Amino acid sequence: MIKIVPLKIMTDEYNQYFIITEDVKKAVAASGIRNGMVTVETRHTTTGITVNEALECLESDIDVFLSRLVPENAPYSHCHMLPDYGSTGGNPTGHLKALLTGNHCHFPIIDGELVAGGAQDIWFCEYDGPSQRTVSIIIEGE
Amino acid sequence: MVIDIHVHPAFFEPINGDEEKEQLRHDELNLHKNGTAPLKHFFNKMKCAGIDRVCLLPEDYSSGGGGEPLVSNEEIRRLVDLAPDRFIGFASVDPHDEKAPEKLERAFAEYGLKGLKLHPGRQHFAPADKLLDPLYDICEKYDRPVTFHSGLSFEPHALTENCHPLKFEPLAEKRPGLRISLAHFGWPWCREVAMLMLKYPNVYTDTGVLYFDSAREFYTQMLTRDVPLTWIDRSLRHQVMFGTNDPRFEMIRMAQAIAELGFRESTLELIMGRNAVEFMHYDPERSAE
Repeated sequence: MIKIVPLKIMTDEYNQYFIITEDVKKAVAASGIRNGMVTVETRHTTTGITVNEALECLESDIDVFLSRLVPENAPYSHCHMLPDYGSTGGNPTGHLKALLTGNHCHFPIIDGELVAGGAQDIWFCEYDGPSQRTVSIIIEGE
Repeated sequence: MVIDIHVHPAFFEPINGDEEKEQLRHDELNLHKNGTAPLKHFFNKMKCAGIDRVCLLPEDYSSGGGGEPLVSNEEIRRLVDLAPDRFIGFASVDPHDEKAPEKLERAFAEYGLKGLKLHPGRQHFAPADKLLDPLYDICEKYDRPVTFHSGLSFEPHALTENCHPLKFEPLAEKRPGLRISLAHFGWPWCREVAMLMLKYPNVYTDTGVLYFDSAREFYTQMLTRDVPLTWIDRSLRHQVMFGTNDPRFEMIRMAQAIAELGFRESTLELIMGRNAVEFMHYDPERSAE
């Protein structure tokens, strides 16, 4: 059996981090699936899904680290009129930060519960906000 | 107060819902994959860009097909009513519509809209054509400015020739009491716009243009090289208004880029809001009326 639960997030900052572990656990519990896997995947290309410890200091370090690796003012190619959109694409930093954190994570489900280490939380990362975002919580198993 | 003088609300959620109409807006404005925006999302964008108020510009191309405006004056009034502390509404009429003067009069007198938006390229008229005189008379009667699309338009069926800055000189010369903005800095003819602003104090422009590169790169080229920064900082500082042309361009990065170009602080204050207040003769304390 497979169930896909959309999680909607409206972000209100340019770069922003959300802990969505509880949302995922709730979706797993509501799915009725006892044993299997859960995949958490963002539907966007300028956001990330990553697993890390939910600490304010780490959020700051990750944000500073990514901004140092991907500075705003660099000569990127993805800054030009996109005819398919009719608008100018100017969010290369969002795409590159998304590349670094990836777009999904997996956890096992045993006896109806998500199994994770004590320090592991699921982060949704916004790199081109504010925006309206959707994360797919994909629950597979029996 | 920071004002974005140039925003198109065609995809704001409160005036969408009809899929056919929404698709028509995508096709006719040549804007795609952008979805519709809840007002809360738009306000979040304003906050990130440091913008206090935006001017909402409608589009009435009804005589060119469709029979009704893409975004009507009534829809603009509805949006202003939803957020009178953030939105300033402009009107649009189709100059080829014989009822255009009557509609414009209603937009100013009944709906309280603060200016007129016209697109000579898309609406297929020359700015100094006599056809427009009744509309300009109404703008002068109500002390309302006119924002014209000028320079390149990315919309379909838009004839760039009608948007060349020199097409506006007869109007600027003939009606010195009518405040007009040649939007988008008339790009690529930004020097011609600078020339007109130097000669005619009733001519304004806005910065809603970003056709190449990043906002920082494009503005560096247009506002420090094509038009040297000193020309604006010393001579044209009362006639350039901050505008983004949202949703075609990028509100947050454009606001940041303008702030970092190197204008004097007092010039930046003029560009980012005070010139728009003067252009519209706008009283923020009475914005909801």
